[in-house]
Amino acid sequence: MAGQSDPHISLFSAQEVEFLGEDEMVEIVPNMRMDPLNLICGDFGPFRPQIATQVPLWLAVALKKRGKCTIRPPEWMSVEKLTQVLEAERNSLREFQPLPFHYVEIARLLSDHARDDIPDVYMVRSLIEDIRDVRFHKVETGLETIHERTHAVKLKNLSAMEANIVRPFVVRALQAFYKHDSPEMIPQPDTTAIRRRQAADRGPKRDRRY
Amino acid sequence: MAHYYDIDEIIVEEELVSAVFQKAANGVGILDPSAETNSVEQGSKVELPFWLAHELLQRQAVTINVPACFNQKTRKEIQADAPCVDLRSRCPYFYELGCKLAPLVGDRTIGSLLLQAFLSRYKEVLSKAHTAASTPVPKVLTILTKEETNLYETAQSSMAAFKKWRMGGPRFQRASVLGRKRKPTD
Repeated sequence: MAGQSDPHISLFSAQEVEFLGEDEMVEIVPNMRMDPLNLICGDFGPFRPQIATQVPLWLAVALKKRGKCTIRPPEWMSVEKLTQVLEAERNSLREFQPLPFHYVEIARLLSDHARDDIPDVYMVRSLIEDIRDVRFHKVETGLETIHERTHAVKLKNLSAMEANIVRPFVVRALQAFYKHDSPEMIPQPDTTAIRRRQAADRGPKRDRRY
Repeated sequence: MAHYYDIDEIIVEEELVSAVFQKAANGVGILDPSAETNSVEQGSKVELPFWLAHELLQRQAVTINVPACFNQKTRKEIQADAPCVDLRSRCPYFYELGCKLAPLVGDRTIGSLLLQAFLSRYKEVLSKAHTAASTPVPKVLTILTKEETNLYETAQSSMAAFKKWRMGGPRFQRASVLGRKRKPTD
């Protein structure tokens, strides 16, 4: 298949996924006064000191770097919530807990730029690392179970960065399985010759791995 | 014909397969090392690259035998313990060659052999791919075919890129063309 020999088949680099994650809204508490910002992506309302406002993360980080605001950590990023999530992840062997889609990127950006705004930042950071490890391990065990006849792999509640890491591998593996399992390779009970392209209408046998 | 320019496909077709000539051929004695004259006798067995054997087969000038990497010895090894079989020294393009040969040779069991081998080796590749440290190269890497090595490297490189991102570092990198100071021209 064209592109099979290229190991860099991943569509997004890690920096690009981070860039996409910066669109998430966070709450900031500005310490200056500014008029509304009319941007293409939206209007971000007048900034008054000590009044909390919702802005995209990229704007929050930019303001924070200039010392014009403090960032309030999102409510999923507290030690209690994260401990709960970690417990739930460890208990359920197949399912992923619902977490914000870009939690890895948001956590990294906030801990890099807004370290003093997060209570217990080291604890939060280590919890997120643990959560990430447990989830990734689950992904790996899930991938071990795919075999021939797997048309699609569905992983619920996977986050953007995790999906980006496994995407090239899973795509390649599924391609390889499909290639080896086409009807031309495995002789079918009826001896009529089947062209490879017509393997798509193989019937409703769709096998999904959750 | 999307595969026409694919380098791997081209190299796969260079693999030698043994073929038996059905007709005598003149002027190509170089193919058969044991020929006295510059021609190949009917019924003589020569090693041809796959692309040549494929074309000649379509003209019904040869018949192709199953190459050595698919013989009984390999099959037994694969059935015994697939992840440890050193496929790279047998034939680095094991799967691709098998896929191409299967419709030509008339051996119906190649497909399921490939599938079974790939399935069990895939699990090994998977477990090592994402997590292994990069510096000690695991032994399994030396016995993988090209296709499996691609899979492994894909996972490794995406994991390494993620780790590098996580370490942090400057968001903006100075472009290399700006690095050198221009000499003042006077």
